[in-house]
Order: sequence, then structure tokens, then C-alpha cells
Amino acid sequence: MSAYIIPVIFIALFCYAKCKKVNCYDTFVKGAKKSVPLVIDIFPYIATIMIAVALLRVSGITSMLAYVFSPIFNLLGIPSELIELVLLRPFTGSGSFALLNDVLLTYGADSYISRCACVILGCSETIFYVTTVYISQTKVKKLLYAIPIALICAVFGSVLACLLCRIM
Amino acid sequence: MNRIWFIMVVGSIACLIWTDPANVLNSMIDASAEALTLSVELCAVYAVWLGVLELVEASGLGEKLAKLLHPLIKKLFKIDDLQTEKMIALNMSANILGLGNAATPMGIEAMKRLDDGSGVATPAMIMLIVLNATSLQLLPNTVIGLRTSAGSASPADIILPTIIATLCTCLLGICLVKLFNHLREKVSKRSKK
Repeated sequence: MSAYIIPVIFIALFCYAKCKKVNCYDTFVKGAKKSVPLVIDIFPYIATIMIAVALLRVSGITSMLAYVFSPIFNLLGIPSELIELVLLRPFTGSGSFALLNDVLLTYGADSYISRCACVILGCSETIFYVTTVYISQTKVKKLLYAIPIALICAVFGSVLACLLCRIM
Repeated sequence: MNRIWFIMVVGSIACLIWTDPANVLNSMIDASAEALTLSVELCAVYAVWLGVLELVEASGLGEKLAKLLHPLIKKLFKIDDLQTEKMIALNMSANILGLGNAATPMGIEAMKRLDDGSGVATPAMIMLIVLNATSLQLLPNTVIGLRTSAGSASPADIILPTIIATLCTCLLGICLVKLFNHLREKVSKRSKK
């Protein structure tokens, strides 16, 4: 079902544009042209944050943190197998999907742990990555309470995800 | 951001000096290469979506969407600028469809327009960041794909809990941002007096 959404939207859009007498080809090229400078602008930000994440993982700090935090996570009802996933999720999208794949293969795709992991990933975002990229083209240096609020939401989401998986 | 990055990097390297000093430079370069691959992929994704976006704009659909979401955006962001509203409307629509990467270029554009140059994030900017960081997405496509390939019997049965969870986190995010924006206004008014 969801596979049809994008194609249908695209066809509708192209036909609508045609009706409005828009030159589809020229307009599309004009938009696509912006992608290269945009990526060049944000690449350094992506690289810098990914370097930090890679160092964190290689150094074993994440698994140490997972060990330290496990009592707190247990209290919140998050299975200790998922702590590394919850901790890394705000930083890296590809990394957390790789972790999710590990979880799915290790514990079986339909196990409670795997379902929790899926919902946790589905309701969260790569907070630091999103924030870095979004402010990269502005002059903002002080984000005030943006990141703390996003992190609170992420923890709340993880707890809720595990609860929901237990009852659904 | 500066502080977080500093702690992450210095802490990790300090750890690695004890355990595996030869790996420091390697893993940094690997990560950077990974970022490059990701950027090339993103470049392709953005080319498609920015092309589509340009069409949406040129055909006047962007304005229609902005008008449709106007009451909501007005309430959340307290802004009154059609172009910015358009970008935010498109950013939110792409997020809801689970197209995080497609939402990014519009989000960046909206952020640029919201920036007042003072170096401090405006309330509307914080709202946009938190909205994007809590990801209101209704179709967790990647997750379902991974579950299918891992041999799940019913890969789509996580959709409902995901939607509930994502709605709740989003609402919590909005409420917290509203609360803090309100407090911030009060504090700045008091300091002006």
C-alpha cells in the first residue's frame, strides 16, 4: 500500500504542473542544480560529526556507557540489549540501522527485543546530525534548550516504545 | 555543539591511547570516507527532491500547501512570512511521509529564513529543530524493510506502536518548546524592565 504513495503523488504533481503550464524539464533541472552546492556545504558538518561518532564507538566508550547506564535503563523498562542502540541513535542514522540489523538477526525479527528496537528507531531521529545540518547554513551558535528537549523526547519515546510493544 | 564534540573526541582518543593507539587515525579517516559516501548518496537524493520541490513551487502547489497548514504553522511558529511558511509546510509534509532526507533541503532553507543573525536560535528555529529531531513520521519504511529481510512473519505490525510513540514524542516536544519559549519571553521582558 505505502509503495503507491510516492508514485501517485509524483504523477499528480507532474500533471498538475503541466496543467499550470510549467516547463517541467527546465524547472526540474533548476531545482536539481541546487543539490550539488548544498551537499558541498553540509559535507564538512556530516564528516565532523561522523568522525566523533566513529571514535566513540571504536574506543569502546559506548559499551562502557551502556554498562554504566544499564541500571537506569532497566528502571525505565528498556531492555539492556538495546542500550547501545538508544545511546547511538541521536548521533548516527546509518550506524543505528546497522545496530538494528544486528539486533534483528541475533534475537529474531519477531522477538520482543527486536520489536522494541524497531519502534524506538521509528519514533526517533538522529538529533545531533539533524541539528548540525540544519544550523550549518545559519549564523546560530547558541541553541539554548533545543537539544535537551529533543533528548528528553527521545528518552520518553524509547520508554514508551518498550511499553507499547509489551501490550501490543 | 562545540563542547559536545570536544568531549566526545578528546574522551575517545584518550581512551584509545590506552587500548588501541594505531586505530585512531584509521577510524577517523574511515568515518570521513563514510561521510563522503553518504554525501554522494544525499546529493543524488537531494537532486531528485529539489527537482520535485522546484516543480511544487513553480506550479503554485507550495503556496496551497502552506495555506492549508497555515493555522497550524502560525500556532507553532508564530511567523508571518509566506515563503518561510511554504518551506516549513513542505518540510513537515516530507517528514510525515517518512522522507527525512527529502525534508532536509527545505528545512535548511527555512532555517536560513528564520535566522535573525544574532547568533542565538530564535524560538521558531528551536521549534523547527525539535520537530525535525522528534521525527513525526507515519511510515517507517526502512525499519519495515529491515524486518522483512530478517524474516519477520508480519513486518508491518510495528506500524501502529510506532505511530503512537512518534505522535506522543512530537506532542511532548511541541509542548516543551512552547513552555520554554514562553519562559524565555518572560525572562527577557523582565530583564528589559
